[in-house]
Amino acid sequence: MTGFWPIYRREMLSLWVTPLAWVLLTVFLLLQGLSFYWIVRHLSMLAELSVDSGPLQSYFGQSIFLIVSLLLLCPALTMRLFAEEKRSGTIETLMTAPVSPAGVVLGKYLAVLTTYLLIWAPTVLYAVILRRTGEVDWPVVGASYLGVFGIGAGYLALGTLMSAMTRSQLVALILTSVCSFGLFIFGIGEYIFDPGPLRQFCAHVSVFSQMDEFSKGIVDLRRLVFHATLVWLPLFVTVRVVDSWRWG
Amino acid sequence: MIEAEHLSKEYGSVVAVSDVSFRVGIGEVVGFLGPNGAGKTTTLRILAGFLGATAGIVRIGGHDIVQESVRARAQIGYLPEATPLYPELRVREYLAFRAGIKRVARAKRRAALDRALALARIEDVADTLILHLSKGYRQRVGLADALIASPPLLILDEPTIGLDPNQIRDVRKLIRELGDNHTILLSTHILPEVESTCDRAMVIHHGQLLAQGTIEELRTLRKGGGATLLLRDPERRAGEVLARVGGVTGVTVEDSMEGGRQFVRVRVTMQEDKPGADRVIEYVVSTLVDEGIAIRELTPARASLEDVFVQLTRSDELRAVRGGEA
Repeated sequence: MTGFWPIYRREMLSLWVTPLAWVLLTVFLLLQGLSFYWIVRHLSMLAELSVDSGPLQSYFGQSIFLIVSLLLLCPALTMRLFAEEKRSGTIETLMTAPVSPAGVVLGKYLAVLTTYLLIWAPTVLYAVILRRTGEVDWPVVGASYLGVFGIGAGYLALGTLMSAMTRSQLVALILTSVCSFGLFIFGIGEYIFDPGPLRQFCAHVSVFSQMDEFSKGIVDLRRLVFHATLVWLPLFVTVRVVDSWRWG
Repeated sequence: MIEAEHLSKEYGSVVAVSDVSFRVGIGEVVGFLGPNGAGKTTTLRILAGFLGATAGIVRIGGHDIVQESVRARAQIGYLPEATPLYPELRVREYLAFRAGIKRVARAKRRAALDRALALARIEDVADTLILHLSKGYRQRVGLADALIASPPLLILDEPTIGLDPNQIRDVRKLIRELGDNHTILLSTHILPEVESTCDRAMVIHHGQLLAQGTIEELRTLRKGGGATLLLRDPERRAGEVLARVGGVTGVTVEDSMEGGRQFVRVRVTMQEDKPGADRVIEYVVSTLVDEGIAIRELTPARASLEDVFVQLTRSDELRAVRGGEA
């Protein structure tokens, strides 16, 4: 863990003094705002609302928009983590400083994870806005954000690994998109396959059903274990990859 | 300070460094000499802990660079060849990051930063984005980074490459000053740099260590000596006369005007590794006098490091060619 804090701070600084984080923030909030607006507009025209399909439930649980914007946001956040250091050669000064591979990987990963959460933060306003016209069940909103956090954390860990495997940001972006999109596609199997183990598996890894559950306030420990695995495994491999560069 | 034993590095079938062993003692300033592609950068990267050697051991201040990597690396200030920096940061931000990563105590960080800025003479650009710096300034930011944690050992890969003559002089002066209380290993392919800054040098070529020693010791490695003579020789006979003298291996003749009068400048090279070789110069002088050619000046050639370098690297190529034929 040696070198964690300076690397974390440097990554945060580099992310927010360059346009990247700001551009992603703007585009992401525009998309989310549109999505939320349409959902609220649509629901306001309905005569009756069921208990578990209020605007926030629809926004977090039923909108494909949310998943798609995650598929775009996460690879863009992680693509430069290692690829840029390798391309510009700064990896040489970084790895010859007294740092441990785990410190480097975690410092970088937690910096993008923090940025991810900061980009999501303004969406809390949607709940605040809704509160002016009706009730907001805050624990359920909390569960929804837990889902968003879990999925993002997994995708960002995948992206960190992909960035460590190439010196091209573009290749890292494409690889991460393909992997996270692949995981998303698995979930569609839930609606295709007949009932059985395969369908159960697909339902278990389905990002879509996960968000549906979380948005209704159902926090299933199995889901959390899945996310924790999706974070831990890529990060563990990344540490090994970073350690192996010396022998290249 | 540095102990390297039987270092080898292979990239697939390409051998970059082969069985290199050397030591650098505390307080020494050592030059690592070699033509481009000789294996200098690879060796320095192994010493700095960036690359692992295929075989061999490196110890920095007694700590193994692989087994106790973090401890060994904490003793090194390393300046890589291309001076890679983060362009989006300001110089001060970058150096603060490097001070943190090198575990300079928080309370001392400010002072360490100011000291490094002053040593590298970059106070005037401390708040400039690295993106906007010239090559010379970037090189000095890299140097400030190497110095920031006051490491006992500095490893500098081509510290003056890409600088203009004034900057080169500044950097060499800085290296000499730093040599008073640091151990320094610097690589270069520029010979005067070694002669002007180093106590000792190592010559590497094709991944092999060809020679090491003090500058004086290396100079004596040069086989064969020579002399430059200024002659009054209106008939231009000196060339053929000298070619007949036993032990002389080469003569070059050129016209020279000195003080409005016509002279001939003659460069003689002679073998010195044969018995009686030290007397060749006497035969040269007596032969010229016998032939009635007046000698105005005689300067025995002192072997420069450049001669040694050329001889070492060339003869190695020759050996390689001959080995191939056999």
